[in-house]
Amino acid sequence: MSDITSSEDGFTRTAGRQLALFFLMAIGGVAALMWVLSIAASLTSSGTTTSQAVDAETGTVTIAFTTEPPQLDSTLATDMQSGMVLGHVMEGLLTYDANNEIAPGVAERWEIGENDATFWLREDARWSDGETVTAHDFVFAWRTALDPKRASEYAFILYPIKNAEAVNTGKLPLDALGAQAVDDRTLTVQFERPLAYFDKLVAFTTYLPVRQDFFENTDGKYGADADKLLYNGPFMMTSWVHGASLRMDKNPHYWNRDKVKLNTINVGYITPDPNARLNLFKDNNIALSGLTAENLPSALENRWQIHRFVDGSVFFIEFNHREDRVTRNLNLRKAMLLAQDSAELVYKVTKIPGYLPGASLFPTWLMGVDKPLREEYPANLPRMDLELARRHLDLAKRELGVDQIPPLTFLTGDNPISNIQSEYFQAVFKKNLGLDVKIDKQIFKQRLAKMTSGDFDLVLAGWGPDYNDPLTFGDLFASWNLNNRGRYANPELDRQVRIAQSSLDPKTRMDAFGQIQQILIDDAVIIPNYERGSVYVTHPHVKGVLRRVIGADVDYTRAWIDTGA
Amino acid sequence: MAEAGLTSTDFERIEQSAAIQAITRPSLSYWQDAWIRLKDNRRALYSLYLIIALLMFTIAGPWVWRIDPGAQDVDQISQPPGTDRKATVVEPFVPWDGTTLIDTGTGLRLAQPATTQAVRIQWDPLTSTGTYRVYRNIFPLGEERAFGLPLAEVSGSDGLYFEDRLDLRPGTYHYAVVVLDEFGGPGERFETLEVELTRVITVYEALAKGLVASTNDIRIGDEVKLALHPFGTDYLGRDMLARLMAGAGVSLFIGIFAPFLYVLLGVVYGATAGFIGGRTDQGLMRFADFVVALPFLLFMILFKIVFGIGPGESGIMPMLLALVILAWPATARLVRGQILQIREEGYISACRLLGAKTTYLVVRHMIPNTMGVILVTLTFAVPSAIFTEAFLSFIGMGVAPPTPSWGSMCNEGLKTMLTYPHELVFPALFISITVLAFNLLGDGLRDALDARMRSRE
Repeated sequence: MSDITSSEDGFTRTAGRQLALFFLMAIGGVAALMWVLSIAASLTSSGTTTSQAVDAETGTVTIAFTTEPPQLDSTLATDMQSGMVLGHVMEGLLTYDANNEIAPGVAERWEIGENDATFWLREDARWSDGETVTAHDFVFAWRTALDPKRASEYAFILYPIKNAEAVNTGKLPLDALGAQAVDDRTLTVQFERPLAYFDKLVAFTTYLPVRQDFFENTDGKYGADADKLLYNGPFMMTSWVHGASLRMDKNPHYWNRDKVKLNTINVGYITPDPNARLNLFKDNNIALSGLTAENLPSALENRWQIHRFVDGSVFFIEFNHREDRVTRNLNLRKAMLLAQDSAELVYKVTKIPGYLPGASLFPTWLMGVDKPLREEYPANLPRMDLELARRHLDLAKRELGVDQIPPLTFLTGDNPISNIQSEYFQAVFKKNLGLDVKIDKQIFKQRLAKMTSGDFDLVLAGWGPDYNDPLTFGDLFASWNLNNRGRYANPELDRQVRIAQSSLDPKTRMDAFGQIQQILIDDAVIIPNYERGSVYVTHPHVKGVLRRVIGADVDYTRAWIDTGA
Repeated sequence: MAEAGLTSTDFERIEQSAAIQAITRPSLSYWQDAWIRLKDNRRALYSLYLIIALLMFTIAGPWVWRIDPGAQDVDQISQPPGTDRKATVVEPFVPWDGTTLIDTGTGLRLAQPATTQAVRIQWDPLTSTGTYRVYRNIFPLGEERAFGLPLAEVSGSDGLYFEDRLDLRPGTYHYAVVVLDEFGGPGERFETLEVELTRVITVYEALAKGLVASTNDIRIGDEVKLALHPFGTDYLGRDMLARLMAGAGVSLFIGIFAPFLYVLLGVVYGATAGFIGGRTDQGLMRFADFVVALPFLLFMILFKIVFGIGPGESGIMPMLLALVILAWPATARLVRGQILQIREEGYISACRLLGAKTTYLVVRHMIPNTMGVILVTLTFAVPSAIFTEAFLSFIGMGVAPPTPSWGSMCNEGLKTMLTYPHELVFPALFISITVLAFNLLGDGLRDALDARMRSRE
């Protein structure tokens, strides 16, 4: 009996030993496999992925993009990412300085009258192949942007130039455009109507120059690749691996090259995932990363220097004002406006420092005559008042002849903030007004298509400024504006927009904006949500990075590396 | 011969007695035997209890815990379970314009007691002119001069104040005001202030949230307890327990109903194919092979469109249909194999010789003999269906907000995984436990129902 037991013990021991051995072998095998794989990965990957965030020796800063620019033809560009790259590799007639004031660019002098403008170009402005930037390049670019065949979405921003709209709709030939190169270094522009803000317009992307001979040699692929673009800005793109990386080196022909301190801006990573970007920052792979509300505690724990930036765009719920929609009813809109509190949304739900509770279509940073517009014309948005809201709702039901408002379709984007925001409003309208709201979550392009076709009751919309004048927001709800997705039409508002567009007197114009602001509130055209802000962290050695409300954001053209601190 | 010692009595006839023929142990039916053996399997038994408890949680839970899973408690956003719920009643919030600055004290100081409604700070100028940036941190300022969250820029020469309302939670905050240098970065001069926040609520809010019955029951300065959330709240202040219950409804509906339907379909299909055999069998099984090759996700999307499921409507029905239409072939193959085998058994031939009809054969012999396989398939199909639902809701193809499901809750919880882990842990735990319980029960059932293992114990 004892013999059997001991032999069984022996078996158990042997089996146990074998099991342990197998276990160790498995662990070892996995470890070896991982090691081999990591070696293989480092062998195959390019140099950019292992780079440091900041390299003081070569003057290189590595950053990450959320998405890749679709293309870099300035006459077609619409998105912020293209704007950022073009802001670094191109320069317009005028540009913005570090304090966001208009500064000379390619033009060294300019005169803007009531009905025309003249720009004198600097002698030493050069393309990246060494040739001079001439007035013809601007005229060619503007004509190209207005060419009806090219259907540029931003062509409308050139409409203040004489005949631009007629050229864009094909009623007049391209050379009828009111912009002429008198000689290589003098450009004259005639206006369609008196215009007060042309200097701010010419700093916009669509106004950038394009050289005709180069453009025509690219077989319609202008801006599609690094070598399919000619540069006249502080940097030039030297490589563009689509979907992976992008590299901008200092442009040796740039006239103001002494002011450019960085040698290379290396966009080493393109990823839409904010957590991935934050991890890259943590691992010292990129020099700047945004923070989400969820990441804030961990950023505080890491003791990073956190920066805040109000990016200038305004977000709001836009109603559909088309004939067949219940949201055309003013009382329903007023009820919904009164039933929510943008402060609660900003302080308790989105929770990101830098967001400001929305009160108006016009953001707080816009300047009026002397002081900020919103100080001169305060937005008297009514405060949340549930009793009044319910009274308006009852009125709306009576006017519409229904006992219960049918479920409203709430079109939103598919991103974390929109998700939270739409679910928050869904519950608010349900709780406070008993309204059923269905969330229609769509990707950006699909959402835009549905907004254009009017397939929504409410839509979570935002608007960012194109130029530094309140009109960039003010004409949004004009009946002719195609970005007025809810098709709101009010002759009085249209009249005020016309005044703001054509008047030259700042006071008259600002009065008009004040009127527009009041109409939007009285008519409950939108529910203002917030002015968007962001918080971000930067590498301590990178200094002078500018965040801009208008123009290239983030702007590294004036940045430098300082390891001494 | 005599050594054998036999006597004549040995050659007498033994009386026949019934006792020898009697069966000493009680006769057990197939199901009784299976139940006894399942009971012996501790793991399977506990899994069964767990599944019953989960069903109770789903069905009876919402009757006991009567909280709307869509109701948002914005005062308690992302609260982990077991947070202190005491709140003091205060006056309604009125925006502050800095006119009530107090004169007592110097430096950075509180203009009034700090609450979760607002923190109002004021300070004396540090330089003659300048812009200050107000920071807030959850740690005291250290050597590295990380001031924390930048809240705002304030400029002026006197009457400097700031009101903070951003996501205030009870606890300690460290405020700092820093003079900005010429580049707009934090400069050398700064002041800090440690602030202790108390949780407050207004009379109106307490009334709206149903914490008190009427305004008479409550006065400024009273202490009330905020609504209880035993499992904490999610990123919009919704009760996790109520959401888990509502989510269990969706997850278990798909998890139990879909497998039941497709296993039934598979049994009928497989039995037909196996029993008829020949060309019909070949044809039917090739069609089953064809169905196996169809992509599930694509069909799910197609059904969603064909059904006219609009935006913001639940995708549960198309999910159910897609599962039923595409998942049956596995069961069908299994059952067909069994039927083919049983068809050739001796007792079937004997039955046929005795003149049994086809219906009798199928109902009396074939189905009961395949029952084990069917039940086991069913219990293994349940967790896979729960997983499918969780996965589809995770990628946003399933339920529409605000309806929760365990999968969509995981998806939402993932974003706050590091800061508020409870939002991910609870739904993930429920999915894991349910799937494990069904798997273990399936394991036990397989052992218990396998007739061939009967003699081996």
